[in-house]
Amino acid sequence: MAFPGYPPPEHLLGDLGMEAELTTETSARVRTRVTPFVASPDGGVRAGVLATLVDIVGGAIAARVLRPDWMATADLSLQLVGPVLGPWVEARGTVLRRGRTTLVIEALVVAVDEDGSEPVVDGRVPDPVAWASMTFAVLPARNPDSSVQFAADLPLRWAFDGGTLDVPVLDALSFHVLDAPAGRASLPSSPYVHNSFGAVQGGVIALLAEAAGAEALGAAAGGDATSVVVTELQVAYLALGRVGPMVSEARVLASDPDGRAAAVVELRDDGADGRLTTVVNVTAVPVAAAGRAGALA
Amino acid sequence: MTAVPPDRLPDTDPRRHVSDYFRLERWEVPPPPGEERPSVVFGRAPVDSHQRGPGGGIRIGGLLTGIDSLGGFASGLAVLPQWIVTTSLMATVSELTHVGPLRLRADVLRRGRHSVVTALDVVDEGADGRHVAAATMTCAVLDPGAMTLEFTRPVVVPMPDPQPDAPGPGEFFCIEPGEGPVTRLRLEDRLRNPWGILHGGAVAMLADEAACRAAAARPDAVGPDGVAAADVVLHYLRPVKVGPVEARCTVLGTRAGRTTVRVAIHDIGADDRMVTAGSVTVLAV
Repeated sequence: MAFPGYPPPEHLLGDLGMEAELTTETSARVRTRVTPFVASPDGGVRAGVLATLVDIVGGAIAARVLRPDWMATADLSLQLVGPVLGPWVEARGTVLRRGRTTLVIEALVVAVDEDGSEPVVDGRVPDPVAWASMTFAVLPARNPDSSVQFAADLPLRWAFDGGTLDVPVLDALSFHVLDAPAGRASLPSSPYVHNSFGAVQGGVIALLAEAAGAEALGAAAGGDATSVVVTELQVAYLALGRVGPMVSEARVLASDPDGRAAAVVELRDDGADGRLTTVVNVTAVPVAAAGRAGALA
Repeated sequence: MTAVPPDRLPDTDPRRHVSDYFRLERWEVPPPPGEERPSVVFGRAPVDSHQRGPGGGIRIGGLLTGIDSLGGFASGLAVLPQWIVTTSLMATVSELTHVGPLRLRADVLRRGRHSVVTALDVVDEGADGRHVAAATMTCAVLDPGAMTLEFTRPVVVPMPDPQPDAPGPGEFFCIEPGEGPVTRLRLEDRLRNPWGILHGGAVAMLADEAACRAAAARPDAVGPDGVAAADVVLHYLRPVKVGPVEARCTVLGTRAGRTTVRVAIHDIGADDRMVTAGSVTVLAV
């Protein structure tokens, strides 16, 4: 474990079994196992789970590059590209720019085998699974809001130890749909999903938005959340979700039964006077149009 | 309004040259007296025929130029007497075919000490208010230095008149003809903004054109009418000061008629440093 006390023994990151490695001073890779419990309706890995993966790889790089300063995710984008062949998906991140107040990181998500190599199919390496980018806001050192105190030297490799996810990830998060067509859903704020600030982790926020957006877009297309696959997330983090529950509301921008659909999902901290915490642009395609994303391990 | 460095008086007005090309009308709606929140800024722009692309509507690079202009304006007004520079732009496009005029709205979501986050919404007035795009942009707050910022509030900028024989966006933004994964832009002075650097809209148009050329080289990415850019993410990493400017594209993959293209833009004259990075989703149309 890289950071004493975080995450706690019962935490989503532990249940996802993420393994991290700092590969250079400015790059890292983090991988998670592909299982049916993190699958989207087309058999791929949910965009929100991939967003969690890239948020962790970005955070790992940022922690090293910015130390002793700390950081908070300001924005995150993710575009799904290709199939998920498993048995692991790995996010490989690198720094694009280190500024005085921000750090910009991009990440490529690829499918990898047990040994970390990329699978070869029909003589070629398949397209990457996704591309992502993140902006981190630099926070001054010794930020009293953070529960994490750095070890003198960050380890080069670590694993988020914990249990094993044996239920669908949305069930593990106690995700609850209130009104599907309106994209209204809720998710409690608990230590299981907290980041080191004691607020809902940025990847979990993206996952909530993805699921809420799918509910609204699926309903708009005359189906349900399982009839669409979210292919793109654009997340703007405005404030931390500390109290909870986090509640969502979606505004459907377009819904073409044979093509793309898009929505804007707003997330609010219901326990903090409904404060707007996050705005997420969500793009989806019908499952039939997406095709089968890939075989699960 | 005034936003011009005192030592720089070019032939074209850098405050409006690019937004005038897209004939962007702008007006500010301040909050009611006693409310401490930023103004909402609205915009309106026709969809002139020379700006249309293969998707049937305005090129997404052009749409992003309007979004960048209006969002930057709203963000800047929110932090006066300081000013802003765009650092990232994320846009989701829901409709490629436009009747016009397009109506834009910019709402400041968060005004911090170092940054401003603004949401933008675009609808098509000519198509019963059909939604066109949603975007979020982040701006860094800057000390304007010698630049003077004087505005008559609330700000109103009328729609510029049509320009006879106006060039297409590629020619206007000095994008060199070509095909394949690398596309180049000549940095002419008229494309510089009041800070003296390449206008963010020009960068967006270059990303659009470059990504489409790169995707078009892949047969499974092309539809009967070709390709058109849609969703875009751009991180403005550093200012473009010297030029020429080169967009280098990597096609990451094609799925369900969507091709994802990574775009890295470099300022060749400034030690080839990377100035912008992002991705463009290119649709078969």
